[in-house]
Amino acid sequence: MEKTINNWIPFLTLIRREIKRFMKVMIQTVVSPIVSSSLYLLIFGVSLGSQVNLPNGLPYITFLIPGLMVMGLINNSFQNSSSSIVTSKFSGDLEDIRVAPITNHQIIWAMGIGGIIRGTVVAFITGVVGMIFHYFMVGDFLPIKHPLLFAMFTVLCGLIFSFCGIFIAFIAKTFDQLSAFSTFILIPLTYLGGVFMTIQGLHPFWQKVCHLNPVFYLINGYRYSMVGVSDVDLTTTVVVCLLAAVVTYLMAMYSLVKGSFARW
Amino acid sequence: MKALEVKNLKKVYVDVKDASRSVHALRGVSFDINEGEIFGLLGPNGAGKTTLISTITTLEKPTSGELNVFGLDVVKNARTIKQNVGVVHQEVINTGYFNVTEILEFQSGYYGILNNGDRIQFLLDRLALKPHAHKKVKQLSGGMKRRLMIAKALVHSPKLLLLDEPTAGVDVELRESLWKFVAELQKSGMSILLTTHYLEEAENLCNRIAIINKGEVNYCGSPKEVIQKYSTKKIHIKLTNGDTKEILTSAAESLNNVLAQHKISLADIVDIQMTEGKLEEAFTKVVIAGREAHGAAQ
Repeated sequence: MEKTINNWIPFLTLIRREIKRFMKVMIQTVVSPIVSSSLYLLIFGVSLGSQVNLPNGLPYITFLIPGLMVMGLINNSFQNSSSSIVTSKFSGDLEDIRVAPITNHQIIWAMGIGGIIRGTVVAFITGVVGMIFHYFMVGDFLPIKHPLLFAMFTVLCGLIFSFCGIFIAFIAKTFDQLSAFSTFILIPLTYLGGVFMTIQGLHPFWQKVCHLNPVFYLINGYRYSMVGVSDVDLTTTVVVCLLAAVVTYLMAMYSLVKGSFARW
Repeated sequence: MKALEVKNLKKVYVDVKDASRSVHALRGVSFDINEGEIFGLLGPNGAGKTTLISTITTLEKPTSGELNVFGLDVVKNARTIKQNVGVVHQEVINTGYFNVTEILEFQSGYYGILNNGDRIQFLLDRLALKPHAHKKVKQLSGGMKRRLMIAKALVHSPKLLLLDEPTAGVDVELRESLWKFVAELQKSGMSILLTTHYLEEAENLCNRIAIINKGEVNYCGSPKEVIQKYSTKKIHIKLTNGDTKEILTSAAESLNNVLAQHKISLADIVDIQMTEGKLEEAFTKVVIAGREAHGAAQ
């Protein structure tokens, strides 16, 4: 009964499905980040930011924009994969994917790429809104200093949090467990990772604590690629990010093998 | 080659905290399905039918035993088997974001098929879903959702189709049209494993059946055989002297024997009517006998 199929087609179909899915909820993916980033920029960038003097000499809004962009990337890549799986658990779609000739690797990569794309769309929109604010406050648009590094950190960040989303969504048995991860782990790590502040002003003890946070390296790597400043050296950042990508990939794989495809 | 071979298949859901609470869903199930055959898997709720289907589709791993689809081991050749098997799940899948056509396009893609428009159009047409092709699942009635699930299972033209209670909650007219469609699929050479609670339909449609209960196969054979073995037929006789006699006898018993046993000669009979045994009765007896044997064994 030999019936061989092109392995790329199921993989590309899954990616297409992921993209189409988030495109159907445009208010979440496009409108919501415009509103939230405008508010952040208005309150932190314009109002409070004018009173902030950073040790690295950058205008606060220049420092803030990459932080907001990467925060959008982190949240949306995580939400894309986790909500895709959770809604599929409700609808029963996961059973279709499970009985189709699709490997676990294909599922993980397809969801990872879906997450990168959604996260990048949100980061891009946040960046565009940020540029407008930047132009009016600083007088020019914010250039990307290291485009290749920027692309690398965008991909790594999107993948890491998409993989996290897969892991949590498969392991979670209830909505509570899913939102607990977001509330107690993802948001604190992101906020304490340097979205709004540099750690240079912190007590040395808290600076050391910040170095234990993997999100800190991601945010600083992303910011370095855009504006050329970071609280940590680039090599360490790249190594930590690559390691985080491998670890989260393995976690996602574990969750697919051990987790439940059953309905909620 | 057999479409499906199940040999001494066991599936235990282990409770790691308390082994005594582990669930033995399948306890050494054995049967096979010939190519081009419609095989009915019948049993009460919780008998192990869905677990068996989940194991065939590789959703569940067997604890022990053998499970081959077209000669290939399910565990070792999961991907090849998945390409050749179509599944209609028991519970309706309510994909929220996409319309019927999009769902069937994605489903084709999952099985490595691009540009499957002709097949999709054929299925939409054949399953009367064409007017609803651009509706989302939530806009479909229960019957339409069932038909969509069947279309999904058939987009990749599988060689083995697994139907897990495909007509649950479906009205009579639709059930009849679905069974007609299933019979057509069989004629095209497809092998079909069917679970249903509608025993009359299984009796008419299936070449062979297995009655499963508490994870054990209590009977495997043709519906006719099980009816003859386990059910009774009713013989209503009107005699020349005006009397009527109603005789209940084994379905396998010949009329001559029955008449001889009751000392009725053909000359005494004005009219005779026979009601054949039904699968439902045979099914109940098999299940009860199986339950008693299971209880005795424990």
